[in-house]
Amino acid sequence: MNHDALVAVARAVFEAAGGTPIDPDYVLPADIPLELSGEAVRARLCVFTDNRGAEMAMRPDLTLPVAQREAARLEAARLEAARLEAARLEAGPSVKTYTYAARAFRLPAAQDDPFEFTQVGVERFGYAADPSADAELFALVHRAVEACGVSPKAIVTGDLAIFPACIDALDLPAVTTDLLKRAFRQEGGVRAVLDAASRPLEADILAAIEAPDTEAALNAVLAARDVPLVGARSLGEIASGLRARRAAIEAGGLPETARTALLALRDVDCPLVDAPATLSALAKAHALTGASSALEAFASRVEKILGLVPGARRTASFRAGFGRRFTYYDGFVFEVLAEGLAPTQPVAAGGRYDGLIAGLSGARVCATGIGGVVRPDRMARVWRTDA
Amino acid sequence: MSRLTFAIPSKGRLKEQTEAWLAGIGHPLRQIGGERGYTAEIDGLDAEVRLLSAREIAQGLIEGSLHFGVTGEDLLHDLAQDGPEDFQVLQRLGFGGADVVVAVPQAWFDVDTMSDLEAAGAAFRKSHGRRLRVATKYLRLTRRFFAQKSVGEYRLVESAGATEAAPSTGTADVIVDITTTGATLKANGLKVLDDGVILQSEAAITQSLRASFTAGARAVADTLVGAFSNSDHKF
Repeated sequence: MNHDALVAVARAVFEAAGGTPIDPDYVLPADIPLELSGEAVRARLCVFTDNRGAEMAMRPDLTLPVAQREAARLEAARLEAARLEAARLEAGPSVKTYTYAARAFRLPAAQDDPFEFTQVGVERFGYAADPSADAELFALVHRAVEACGVSPKAIVTGDLAIFPACIDALDLPAVTTDLLKRAFRQEGGVRAVLDAASRPLEADILAAIEAPDTEAALNAVLAARDVPLVGARSLGEIASGLRARRAAIEAGGLPETARTALLALRDVDCPLVDAPATLSALAKAHALTGASSALEAFASRVEKILGLVPGARRTASFRAGFGRRFTYYDGFVFEVLAEGLAPTQPVAAGGRYDGLIAGLSGARVCATGIGGVVRPDRMARVWRTDA
Repeated sequence: MSRLTFAIPSKGRLKEQTEAWLAGIGHPLRQIGGERGYTAEIDGLDAEVRLLSAREIAQGLIEGSLHFGVTGEDLLHDLAQDGPEDFQVLQRLGFGGADVVVAVPQAWFDVDTMSDLEAAGAAFRKSHGRRLRVATKYLRLTRRFFAQKSVGEYRLVESAGATEAAPSTGTADVIVDITTTGATLKANGLKVLDDGVILQSEAAITQSLRASFTAGARAVADTLVGAFSNSDHKF
């Protein structure tokens, strides 16, 4: 099959499962991906400047503009409900499925990567975020790949909720917990945080945060040291940063047990069918009882996936660190690989992003989200290599 | 590009020091068209000498439009897309030394390390609804270093000049800039983070790994490399 035939086949699979076809805005303010995901995404973003100097970006995928459209729709609905004072309108959950076959744009990471390509996929908002929903979405994307005549060589899966759940289970000071959770999603990983040393606070500063009026005391320290207050952070923000750091120092840094637990978790890489047992053994060995509900949800999802897609027993693996760099995903994530393509060039991918709508709307509205896409351009390459 | 193209800085102390270094290894520079000319010759070398800005030289070496050049390592590391795979530093020259550093307001008593900065950035985003801004002209270097250190809570603001003033004028909160003594940073109420030295840079004679060399150009290059390898002229 050639590219256009693959687009048609994949599209038919997604549309048959239901949903509204959509082709949202091509151009977004660059602030949307950059504020949402940070500078790390800039390396792949096609950015240009408009006539007034504002940075704009070509859509790097469909998830972002579709979710933006959905966030706007939900906000409008909320305002309308408030205007009509119709509590009844808010009673039922508002669910929505969108399907698309549309162009996306990215700066190439490898020489044979194109600047623009078609993604065929689906995004679902507002449905219950449970193991069945994850498994059904996965099965749908898997079906689209198979309908395109491509047999998955390997499927890599991850779960971005497991690492945070295990960090919570370690019972560390809040500042360390937050730091580790964010570090997990950065290129340097938790290792960079585990290896970073914190130095003690100086005596005059320590005295200032113990003073009844911390801000006044910090002001006195600034004057005594002849230091100006520049930048957008206030003394109040500096004071709460100091208190958090003092709490971390008093807790005596990261205990060795926490360190070994996190490094052991980071290294988990096994067949998906074995992953529930591997993770529960690890949780038991490192006393991570607080993570049990995340692990139960995980085990239930694996069971449902293997029920719907028996072939995944052979092809799918689980990696604890997989997907940590996928910026707005926050739960189940997967990529489907095919013969002849690099591991960085999956033919299909998807996952859960329950925090995205809240992130896009400044937390004015929220809705669960899950989606997946196939890449006909890459599947066409698989077809050409086969021929 | 059949002749060896060799670029040297067109003005300032970097140019003077490069000229002195060339004279020291026995190949003095003669500028054509006086002080304002942009071409020159080097005694004893059959090379096309170009006088360019340090940034243009770094760019030319990375693209392969120049064979050799004298420029700052800071610029080479920042402009190279994939890090140091496009160029090879043949010799650091002992002048033009400066550190590329991450600096924050001295008043940020709670921020001494990159990981403190990440924590402050996350709290800032929660209370201000936007990310902390980092002003710099070293966009790639900053992005790579912050990623290595697992710092993601920031936005880059490209700075054309006077980067150290960005926090006091309110265009950014943090800077990544070059410093020699730290005096300018201090005068602007800033401090370098404990683990915030990104690169210790010097002027360096550098070879492009992208440019193709003819046999003639290669021979001239070997003469030049021979001259400075055998010389113990140091600054």
